Amino acid sequence: MFKLGLGKYRTIIVLITLFLVFDVGVLAMTFLISKQIASDAVSLNLAGQQRTLVQQLTKTALLLEQDATQGIIDSSGQSSFSELKELIGTADQFNSTLDAFHQGGRMVEGRGKVALTPQDDEQAAEQFKLLEEMWVPINVELQKIKQLKSDTKPDLGPLLQVLVADNLNLLTVSNMLTSRMESLSATKATNLRIVQVAGISLALVNFGFILYFFLRQLRTSDRAVERAQKETEDILRTTQEGLFLLDTEFRVGLQTSQALSKILGISDLAGRDFLALLKPIVTPKTFETAKEYIELLLRHDVKEKLVASLNPLDCIEVSAAQPNGAIESRFLNIRFNRVFDAGKVTHLLVTATDITRRVRLERELKESERKVQDQMGMMVHILQADPSLLQEFLRNAIKGLDQINEELRTGTATAGMSAKRIDMLFRISHRLKGDANALKLEAIAQSLHAFENLLDGLRANPSLRNEDFLPVTVRVKGLYAEIHAIQDALTRVAQVRGVVTVEPPKPAQDPAIAALPFVHQWRNFAQEIAQRHKKAAELSYQGLDLATLALPLREAINSIVNQFIRNAMTHGVESPVERKQRGKPEAGRISVYVSDAGDGYLELSFRDDGAGIDPEKIREAAVRTGRLDATAAGLADMRKLISMIFEPGVSTRETVDEDAGRGVGLDTVKDMVARMGGRVRIGTTVGEYCHFRVQLPLGGVAANASIMDTNQEAA
Amino acid sequence: MDEQQLRIFVDIVRQYFDRETGRLPEIGSPHLGDASALPIYDFTGVIGISGERQGCVYVTAYREMLRALLLQVGETDVADNNLCDLVGEVANTVSGNARIHFGPNFMISVPIVVKGSAQAIQVPRNIKAYIIPLRWHKHEAALVVSLQ
Repeated sequence: MFKLGLGKYRTIIVLITLFLVFDVGVLAMTFLISKQIASDAVSLNLAGQQRTLVQQLTKTALLLEQDATQGIIDSSGQSSFSELKELIGTADQFNSTLDAFHQGGRMVEGRGKVALTPQDDEQAAEQFKLLEEMWVPINVELQKIKQLKSDTKPDLGPLLQVLVADNLNLLTVSNMLTSRMESLSATKATNLRIVQVAGISLALVNFGFILYFFLRQLRTSDRAVERAQKETEDILRTTQEGLFLLDTEFRVGLQTSQALSKILGISDLAGRDFLALLKPIVTPKTFETAKEYIELLLRHDVKEKLVASLNPLDCIEVSAAQPNGAIESRFLNIRFNRVFDAGKVTHLLVTATDITRRVRLERELKESERKVQDQMGMMVHILQADPSLLQEFLRNAIKGLDQINEELRTGTATAGMSAKRIDMLFRISHRLKGDANALKLEAIAQSLHAFENLLDGLRANPSLRNEDFLPVTVRVKGLYAEIHAIQDALTRVAQVRGVVTVEPPKPAQDPAIAALPFVHQWRNFAQEIAQRHKKAAELSYQGLDLATLALPLREAINSIVNQFIRNAMTHGVESPVERKQRGKPEAGRISVYVSDAGDGYLELSFRDDGAGIDPEKIREAAVRTGRLDATAAGLADMRKLISMIFEPGVSTRETVDEDAGRGVGLDTVKDMVARMGGRVRIGTTVGEYCHFRVQLPLGGVAANASIMDTNQEAA
Repeated sequence: MDEQQLRIFVDIVRQYFDRETGRLPEIGSPHLGDASALPIYDFTGVIGISGERQGCVYVTAYREMLRALLLQVGETDVADNNLCDLVGEVANTVSGNARIHFGPNFMISVPIVVKGSAQAIQVPRNIKAYIIPLRWHKHEAALVVSLQ
């Protein structure tokens, strides 16, 4: 992490380091040069002092000489002594300064000691050397005088001789040295200014770079932050879900999606206590569970996935009263996801979704399914009933119920319902019950019967009160609902019939026969399966009108043909492409024929021009289902193999769908034919056709059980 | 809605009159009414119901009845505001007691008071509502239960 941060700020860090280096460099240089300048100033002073000392020395020597020649000496010789002392002192000072300049050392100057460095300037060194050379003879004479005893009168002649002779030269050399020292000091001062100006300039340029890079970096970062912020705002403004963060104190975060207020029906949510917001819109039990659930999620030691299914806010109903008194109910789904920082749960991301539409659709679907189930029971009777009679019954039923309700309505608060009126209700109900029974609408008849029982009970009550009629009213409402349910079912039937009638009629040899409802139903069934399997089929029928047959026989024929159609369309008839390749029309042809054989048997002939029965496929199916082992299957003859397609659980289809694959279809046919005492014969040619011939006794069950004949015409 | 649930509403209203005036109202012959032909009198207190069943229950009364009721309980100010408050109180009683009886599966709103206008009351369409006429001191009112 540190490396990443350094990378981002590398340039700025380098520039700041440079800035500091420049500053420190300038400071160091300034310090050093200043120190040298200070030292030079001392040297300069001392050089100037040497010049003065030479003059002073000459003067003192001349005074001593004058004292000696003019005899101006007091009795104690004090005056001459002090001047001599001064002469020696001046000479010592000159000597030590010279040594210090020459070899380095410490000199007392002004108020304190100063350090002198040996002169490394050649010119200055030469002048020192010269000064030293001129000083040597003077110094020799001075040392002689210095070594004299105090009561001995010094001979100043030799000293004055060398002193006067070199005085001017010494002065000149001292002046030159002083000038040289001044020049050196001035050069250093100039260097110092240059170093300072250059250093400060570099530092300023560097500072400019720092500012430039820093501001550029800042601006880039700001832009990135602004862009991220804008994206977040766009998301929060646009999303249809209510989003917000919940902290460990259950407080809603400062940023919430715009949809949140609308979904929860609460405005200004930011920073508010979520539990306080939740409390009034859910039941106390849900509230407590939700609180525990959120607390659980905020704990680090509980796995989120484990507790996710416990979310009590998965589907909550919230209601708000409208000005007109109606309650507007909405369903919300509130989900929680943990937000981690450094491995710790810091927040929960809360997602609130309005799932009203979904919940309502689910409820409508359930209601619809329930209605369909209710209607299915009625359908059987409705379809059997004459539509016009049924419609008339429904009209009468509504009218009758309206009459009953009107009788209830006009019963006054004071007079109530009289026995006479109850009789009237009874009569209406009884009439409707008779009509319902005639139409085999048993459920309605039973409800009306229960209604009559209720009225009977009331009739037997001598002290009737109006509120005793509450169950009557409830029952009447139930009857209205039942009648409406039948009307709905009829509407559905009408819709289905409407669809069927717009289907183009299939070609048939006898239009009257082809238009019969059962043929219609077979044809539609064949078409329906064909569509599911991306095949095409045409069904033609010739023969008897099944309506002329006894009901059990009719139902049996219908059921068998349906199974054969299913079998032909799933196993026999090939896809349009395959059929075309085999030179067949794209649509498979199914021919059904029902006739009276004249020997007391009814014959059903069902033939399709599909792929026929492939014995190899049956062998494979027999082995796959464990009916035969591989050896037995290989040895089985065609008769044996074909008879196996009527056995339960044997299907040549390897996959199961709603039409085939379970091996129960032809087993059902065999069972039905067997129960009726008939028999089935099969003729097939691989790649050409499959023909089922079923014989059923016209007059009840035959003595013999089913016999299965096969007629394999080609293998 | 079964008979028992319907009877709960009737009993709540009846007990209200009994408690407040000491006189039970006469219950008229209960019957059914289409959404478009329900009785709406001068003042109506409506409670909305959602949850297991959706719809509304309301008590509607003529001005005269509410005035008489106010006077009966010792209130001499029979201005419309007070009449509204009164019908609201009846509806509130229904709401509160219904919550106790029906439990959490029924979500019952606080009452809304509607003055006059039948259009302002939203009842479920396509279903027949139970109408229970009430008579108290020769004044008429009605309890209407319209639930899907």
